[in-house]
Amino acid sequence: MRQTTASRRDVLKLGLLTGAALAGLPGCSAVPSRPDPGTPPVRGGVYSHGATGGGLKDTLEPYFPVTNPDISRCMQLYEPLLRWDPNYEIEPSVAESVTPNADNTQWTIRIREGVEFHHGKTVTAEDVMHSLATVTDPNNTGSGGTELATVLELNNSTVVDPRTIVLQLNSPYAVLDQLLAEYTVGIIPTDFDVSRPVGTGPFAYKHFVPGQLSQFVRHENYWDGPAWVDELFIYDFADDAAKVNALLAGQVQSIDNLPNYLAGTIEQQGASPLVSETGAWVPFTMRVDVAPFSDVRVRQALRLIVDRQQMIDQALNGFGILGNDLYAPFDPAYASDLPQRVQDIDQAKSLLRQAGQENLDVELVTSSAVGAGAVESANLFVEQARKAGVTVRLNKADANVFYGDRYLSWNFAQDFWNTRNYIPQVATSSVKGATYNETHFEDPTFTALIEQAKREPDPARRTQLLHDAQVIEYETGGYIIWGFKRQLDAYSNLVQGLEPHRYLPCSNFRFSRASFVRQT
Amino acid sequence: MTDLLTSDQATETPVRPPARAGSAWLKWFARRIGLAVLTLWLCSVLVFFATAALGDPVRAILGKDYASSPERVAALQAELHLDRPVIVRYFEWLGGLLTGDLGNSVANGLPVGELVGDRIVNSAVLVIVSAIVMIPVAFGIAMVSANNRGKRTDGVIQIVMITLAGLPEFVVGILLVALFSTTVMHLLPAVTIAGGGAPPWFVPASMILPVLTLVIAVAPYVARIVRSSLLEVLDSDYVELARLKGVPERIVMRKHALLNAIVPGIQVIALQLAWLAGGIVIVEYLFSYPGIGASLVDSVRNSDFPMVQVLAMVIAAVYVGVNLLADVLSILFTPRARTAITS
Repeated sequence: MRQTTASRRDVLKLGLLTGAALAGLPGCSAVPSRPDPGTPPVRGGVYSHGATGGGLKDTLEPYFPVTNPDISRCMQLYEPLLRWDPNYEIEPSVAESVTPNADNTQWTIRIREGVEFHHGKTVTAEDVMHSLATVTDPNNTGSGGTELATVLELNNSTVVDPRTIVLQLNSPYAVLDQLLAEYTVGIIPTDFDVSRPVGTGPFAYKHFVPGQLSQFVRHENYWDGPAWVDELFIYDFADDAAKVNALLAGQVQSIDNLPNYLAGTIEQQGASPLVSETGAWVPFTMRVDVAPFSDVRVRQALRLIVDRQQMIDQALNGFGILGNDLYAPFDPAYASDLPQRVQDIDQAKSLLRQAGQENLDVELVTSSAVGAGAVESANLFVEQARKAGVTVRLNKADANVFYGDRYLSWNFAQDFWNTRNYIPQVATSSVKGATYNETHFEDPTFTALIEQAKREPDPARRTQLLHDAQVIEYETGGYIIWGFKRQLDAYSNLVQGLEPHRYLPCSNFRFSRASFVRQT
Repeated sequence: MTDLLTSDQATETPVRPPARAGSAWLKWFARRIGLAVLTLWLCSVLVFFATAALGDPVRAILGKDYASSPERVAALQAELHLDRPVIVRYFEWLGGLLTGDLGNSVANGLPVGELVGDRIVNSAVLVIVSAIVMIPVAFGIAMVSANNRGKRTDGVIQIVMITLAGLPEFVVGILLVALFSTTVMHLLPAVTIAGGGAPPWFVPASMILPVLTLVIAVAPYVARIVRSSLLEVLDSDYVELARLKGVPERIVMRKHALLNAIVPGIQVIALQLAWLAGGIVIVEYLFSYPGIGASLVDSVRNSDFPMVQVLAMVIAAVYVGVNLLADVLSILFTPRARTAITS
């Protein structure tokens, strides 16, 4: 308690300092401008981040993060073997390398030398094995372990030496490294206890109140360069206005998920928006196994009805990238050569006529629970469909109804997905038995191509196989993917070091790289 | 809650009426408390059956995961004793409520008492501090206004009061934050995030804006009611007589008018305080204040039935308790009503 008293005073002092700094600057430039990119970082200070959402469900569990603040905490405490860089490419983290054998059935993990847990123990092969066993525990599989558990044979895997493990798979899996780079597969020590959580991340646990805040201190021996700031607070914010006010008043230095319409306003008040590309999408989902969507001509017609740019401009306030009915835009195998689909009402009408559906009348189920852009794009779709003579009845369902009994069996609805690469995405959405196959897409040729690609060790040939698979989805799939969201966060001009990142919000929550700007 | 209030009253009241009237007072109190308990019991029936007995709570709690994790379904059914009949569950819950065993939160498994305890205190502090600031302010405004009846001061005050009463509290809050914290000046904290999980009132500066917002939301109503009852009293014969007798105007105002105008004031203050207990949700959201309002919204969103039930009962208890207190105070301040009970 004494410690928290001291830090509370620090926070307050900082708040006052910020306030004073803001008020003290002369004349019209009453707010600080964005610092020069070249400004050297300063050590010290207490950094506060305002995270969106959270509540009593908040947890510090490494393998079961539920809320957005949970994810931001995971990123401070734990680290996976590999990680995603700002371009959404894999780079080493706790492991210095993870390499497959010739047929992708054995993967060798080489652990980085001298990576320390917060309690001082060095990471060994045993810790890694323990972590993988915990995340794939059949009785309590972590959210990042579901796919891993289907391929990993831990009992047949071997610890070669304290820094080397050979993982045995039950079938070839070409992109195991992508599964190991998820934040939900962090490495924990064998003596892990969630009441005093310990990992290898840049910040160590100090204090936690579910639904309110969490407090961390710098991990001095962090392998990737200790954090610039001494302490980190992550506050839960249920309300957008409170979150933005806290940023503008200098009580937090950054916030995630700034509402799109505020991007312009905060720039006049001493803060800067942070815009990142993402692979997150809010598709329309058509069930390919029920009429009228079982007719591929109807699906193609509906895809041609969509004015994608209008959806991005209006449903996402312009913060989006065009979609082409394909997902995983950052995957090296993304089929960017397929022609961009644009609105073509004549073609759509003609397809509907061929299918005998000139006066098509369908129900579209949406819900505000799907997230930003969902209801807005559904409304736009109703308008756009009218031009082609299609009547779309909008059913705005309550969250409990939308994700209730009929979730995954709506004929025509929406859903949300975050950034994923192609093979993991297919496994969760587009093959028989996939957990969230909203479109009931089960093309045998497609499935065969995917299976072949998972086994294919040669990257060029694998890319070709995945490209062929994407052509099938482009021509017959049940998704209408009109765009990918841009992530919008914000930070105070009194801090620096946050940069756009394609994986997670707010510079991948990498507050170890953030520092205060020296006041002159 | 009610027990606490009544014991306070019981120690204080026998002093005033003559000794032989004691039993009449006792009877009156017993009746009032009986009614309060009955109200609360009816609330408990409503709260329980509206939350736990309608539909399948497990389905509501798990939502998307209901189909995919049968083991969690089983665990939750056991936790909520869903195998037993509704009536049995109700009486078990009521028994737990009365003995202080509030059950566990479904969202994170911790005891409800532990989760809501601090938040009840935080909300109570916010409401009480607001009341302490609001009551003298409202009475002061009412007195100035009544004193200057028909003059320009009164007119200006009335217009300002009506305008403020018409503004929703989130608009007031946002304006105050823009004025004092973000856009115009940077004087006060915009949100109440005291470091280290300490209660917000440990950092008094951060309490100023939430309290001010609530005062502005509530004071106009109270001020207007008190003003109109003051005017009524000032027009009465006995005030006229006091003036004719040469009692100075200041004393007329304080002794003769204000004391008699206080009763309607108490009633409206009680109503406003009771409203605050449940109605501070928006203020708590806007200032990230860790109180029961925000917690109730979160719990409803999580379908966290044990939490919702307890918080709903707490708010109901505050309503009943505050109204009971207001009735008692009104009786004590009204000589005619006081004697009516004893005779």
